[in-house]
Amino acid sequence: MALDPNIRINLDRSVVLLVDDNPQALEALSALVRGFGVRKQFKCASGSEAMTIVQSQELDLVITDAQMPDMDGHDLVRWLRRDAPPELIYTPVIMLTGHAPRSMVEKSRDSGANFILTRPFTPEILLQRIYWAARDERQMVKSDRYVGPDRRFKNLGPPLGQNGRRHDDLSTHVGAGTDPNLDQNEVDRMFKPARVQF
Amino acid sequence: MVKAQSRLSQQVAKPGGMTADMATQRARRDLAAQAGDAKVSLGVTIGRLEALCAAKTATAGEVYAESSVVLDVAGMFDLRTLCDAAYSLCELTDRLRSRERQDWTAAGVHVGALRLIWGQDESAAPQLKSVVDGLWAITDRFAA
Repeated sequence: MALDPNIRINLDRSVVLLVDDNPQALEALSALVRGFGVRKQFKCASGSEAMTIVQSQELDLVITDAQMPDMDGHDLVRWLRRDAPPELIYTPVIMLTGHAPRSMVEKSRDSGANFILTRPFTPEILLQRIYWAARDERQMVKSDRYVGPDRRFKNLGPPLGQNGRRHDDLSTHVGAGTDPNLDQNEVDRMFKPARVQF
Repeated sequence: MVKAQSRLSQQVAKPGGMTADMATQRARRDLAAQAGDAKVSLGVTIGRLEALCAAKTATAGEVYAESSVVLDVAGMFDLRTLCDAAYSLCELTDRLRSRERQDWTAAGVHVGALRLIWGQDESAAPQLKSVVDGLWAITDRFAA
């Protein structure tokens, strides 16, 4: 669902870490984020350089390329979620990918990034992901094998009065009943085990 | 499970800031200032790919790395046709390297197409669609 163009977003005081080994892509990313109103940003050309920043600065958002030589974006996020200073381990992360074979998407998801964004993308899409990351209400999972946002999204349906993207999307709003209430026998019948034929 | 509220969530909602529409317009303007340098940089990377295809000594992994650079930079500027062509080359070389093979003819056709697309404006995308479709037909000869 597209971001409402009239919604107000304040990123003036947000501190953003940008990581990409390609200088041209890093400059472009920096220009985008600056355009969104971010005044303070750190630009790093490698995962190891980014680690140094994480250990010494307060950060609100990390946007990192997935594929980098030596320490890639997945390794960086995995480190951030486990070994970064405690106040930063749940910092929202947006992972950028170019070519994304299935193994790469799964690796990004399992690293603990909040969102994965494939190139090409428009400024609208990046801003939308930043907004989603800010409004992300998923709980954080901390286990031996995974640290990051709960990978299960709840499907709450489109807001009341709006059409969903799919023709059969339903809102979670129940509304007033229109059919007569079921009697107890009808309810029992719904729960009764039945033989299934394959 | 831990309920963690990020500082970002508090900051975006603070009074001030700007509308999403204004933010994206500003971002487009700032990005446009970089477009010239990016075009030059893409031309240099395609040149490196041309050199690799001429020498025919590189591994599929090396070609993959350069085609990823094209995809990464073009992707920041929403150059979709160039991205599609670079993505096809990434996919081709990814499939080839998983079989420890190389096919310089297929790679060469891709790199030639990248140069052609790079020289055109994004408005020529409809005319270049058949070129990109042709690249995918080549890539699809090497099943995933």
